[in-house]
Amino acid sequence: MTAMAIRDVVTPTRPAVQPGPARPGLEPNATLSARVDLTASIARFVVRPDDGVGAFEPGQYFALGLTVDDRPLLRPYSTSSVRGTRTELEFLIRLVPDGAFTPRLWILRVGDRLRMGRAKGLFTLGPDDPRTYLFVATGTGLAPCVSMLQSLVRDDAEGSVGSGGGAAAPGAVSASPRAIIVHGVSRVDELAYRDRLERLAADRSDVRYVPVVSRPADPANAGWAGLTGRLDGGLARICDTHGLEPAHSVAYICGNPEMITAARETLAAGGFAAEAIVSEQYWPIA
Amino acid sequence: MAYVIAAPCIDNNDQSCVSVCPVDCITADLSVDRKFYIDPEGCIDCGSCESACPHQAIFRAKDLPRQWADFAWIDATWFNDPDAAREAVNGIESAA
Repeated sequence: MTAMAIRDVVTPTRPAVQPGPARPGLEPNATLSARVDLTASIARFVVRPDDGVGAFEPGQYFALGLTVDDRPLLRPYSTSSVRGTRTELEFLIRLVPDGAFTPRLWILRVGDRLRMGRAKGLFTLGPDDPRTYLFVATGTGLAPCVSMLQSLVRDDAEGSVGSGGGAAAPGAVSASPRAIIVHGVSRVDELAYRDRLERLAADRSDVRYVPVVSRPADPANAGWAGLTGRLDGGLARICDTHGLEPAHSVAYICGNPEMITAARETLAAGGFAAEAIVSEQYWPIA
Repeated sequence: MAYVIAAPCIDNNDQSCVSVCPVDCITADLSVDRKFYIDPEGCIDCGSCESACPHQAIFRAKDLPRQWADFAWIDATWFNDPDAAREAVNGIESAA
């Protein structure tokens, strides 16, 4: 679980992974039901627990585990699935080529077994918060933000919080956005959930999707006409462009520690109160 | 570098650390164990357990107080030879 850029990935060969009981309570209890490779090193994994998905809050993470040399090996990953999902959860994961876990995860095929723990973590949406949400993510740190944004949009549609009690009319002009989601990546093909987020923004004028590509000169980014540069450096301008009012906003930041530190400083300088900035670091582990 | 659960955990049976560990690497058999154990092979060094423990029983291995230095061995041993780890714990005066 890392937000570090990984390039020049070598496809791993299949090491010895022996699903099976290693320690009571950590036996495989789920099946890989789908997998979508976005790039050679970023993929969406869909995991179906045998007993269904327990209750979780958007932004929480789950331990995914394999048995390696008769020992459990687990890593925490935030789900991108919407609150209330009952049968399977989706995770956005980056391959760390020299890591202990992800090379083994990468060779799993649909139908293979793995372990999924219960929901944990405090990086979650507050209840019934009418403020504008600013989600800031780099790389696979987008996953919990997607879970939160999708849940927020659905809650708004069903409830009475924010946006005057429901979804803004398509095409309507909204001065104060309900949510802005900013996603920084190195390459365009790393913009996970781009289609889904573009649809969300098209359906609701008060939801804004702001992808930012940090390496415009990379041939892989040829034709990119959106924002470029480091996400943290452009954050203040993005807030201004979208009319975000710091006094009436709350920021959720997820990604690499350096970005989080820089984004916190930028937002604090722009008027965000300390308690209105929530963050979660992705541990620099493999 | 893993975290280690030292003497203040003995006979307390608090499970705050278990509930916050993101990789479920803290465990015990409460029918026979007097403390919890961190699997050094599974620990990802996030420190969540350290801040959750109400008894200040958890330390980075390198920061273990001298008098509790054996607990790094005890925690690691439990995952391969739990009886040996339990015997070592029983030889240590509880800090509770």
